Amino acid sequence: MTVDEVLEVVRASAAKVLDVDASVLTLDGTLSDLGANSVDRADIVTQSMLELDVKVPVRALKGVSNVRSLVGVLHSHLT
Amino acid sequence: MTAAPVGIEALNVYPGVARISVEEIFAGRGLDPGRLTNLMMTEKSVGLPCEDPVTNAVNAGYPLVSALSPADRGCIELLVTSTESGVDFSKSVASYVHEYLGLSRRCRMVEVKQACYGATAALQLAAGYLASGAFSGGKVLIIATDVSLVDHESGYTEPAMGFGAAAVLLSTCPRVLTLDLGAVGMYSYETMDSARPAPTFDVAEADRSLFTYLDCLENSFRGYADRVDGADFGQTFDYLAFHTPFAGLVRAAHRKMMRDHAKGAAVEADFERRVGPALRYPSRIGNLCSGSVYSSLASLIDHADVDGGARVGLYSYGSGCASEFFSGVVDADSRQALRGMRISERLDHRVPLRFEEYTEVLGTSLSCLVPERDRTVDSEPYLPLYARAGGRQDLLLWTGTKDYHRTYEWITPTGGTDDS
Repeated sequence: MTVDEVLEVVRASAAKVLDVDASVLTLDGTLSDLGANSVDRADIVTQSMLELDVKVPVRALKGVSNVRSLVGVLHSHLT
Repeated sequence: MTAAPVGIEALNVYPGVARISVEEIFAGRGLDPGRLTNLMMTEKSVGLPCEDPVTNAVNAGYPLVSALSPADRGCIELLVTSTESGVDFSKSVASYVHEYLGLSRRCRMVEVKQACYGATAALQLAAGYLASGAFSGGKVLIIATDVSLVDHESGYTEPAMGFGAAAVLLSTCPRVLTLDLGAVGMYSYETMDSARPAPTFDVAEADRSLFTYLDCLENSFRGYADRVDGADFGQTFDYLAFHTPFAGLVRAAHRKMMRDHAKGAAVEADFERRVGPALRYPSRIGNLCSGSVYSSLASLIDHADVDGGARVGLYSYGSGCASEFFSGVVDADSRQALRGMRISERLDHRVPLRFEEYTEVLGTSLSCLVPERDRTVDSEPYLPLYARAGGRQDLLLWTGTKDYHRTYEWITPTGGTDDS
């Protein structure tokens, strides 16, 4: 799976959680740009992991600050 | 052979004697009022300097124990305190609680710790003990008791952290909640989302904790569904009662579960109907740590229509992290059994503090877990406050330590004290 495909999954998860059009979300953007609060962000990350069927250790998410770093961490844990 | 039912015979929540509105904390600390909506809380309980984990536990357990006949009291053969607010590395909170509740010397006692999950671990172990049938007529008293260590440095955690204890009496005469024995799902792993490395402060990484709470809900429910044929998040449970760090998180957790397990359902209406009743008390008390899920259960029984019988899905989560999804059945008798505890009334009776009064008591109560050989805690300045809190039962107050031994006294509803 490519980074772009992982980004698509994150977009779809954000759209599901926030009920918004998430197609505007880019690698340089943040989930907060879409209006996500801290609980929403946790929800979007959990949802993305579920869709990708990947288990990311929580400590690996430390330092995730934007969509690029989130997608990077998710992508690096795909088998 | 049909196994005897096992579950909660009696339940009580001690919510302290003082409270502050969450709005007042936001204003006083200069927090962003825009985030009040996410929290979904109106007020929280506040501890006084003469209250500690022992007084909270005793004050929660006393109404349950005193309602029992002497013979039934003697049937309590296991006392468990669940706390992340231990007062000694060796001596348990349970040892003091055992003394001040006047329990039998033929009773086991022990303290457990697993952050906000501890009480549920104890409840499930005790349920197995009672279900074995080897201890006919035995009862188990589990008390989840904590004090919060939050102040101006705790940010948005400060308005969410409550104060108090929940007491659960387990037996084979379950009036309040009949457990679905064996219907459980667990999910646990090591993570550092929050911890209390010392008696004076907590460390918490909020984002990590939110994530693990949701992750554990999804996976503990999957574990439950693997054991229970046909379990369906949207259909199986008439009501849901979750561990409630703040009600807004429970709303997000419900939204997530409905999205994954009940596609197409009206999420908001379902939340109001199945979850709303369980959030009434937590939204007024704050997070009670391992007592939280039981304050949610009490809230549900006091506010939902359970008279025709209802199945409740319960979710317990503790940082660190351990979690469990389990279930049980409530009915009209549950409401009747809980009514005598007058929890709603006691929430109303707590004295509302102004922000200045709040910060004043906070300053002195944050050190209650710090071991000191000799200490005097003067309850005198707070007696007027106790007098202002109406409708009280006898309450235990902490008076200090003598050679590391903690000392307590009872205060009666008329305001007098009674050295013990």
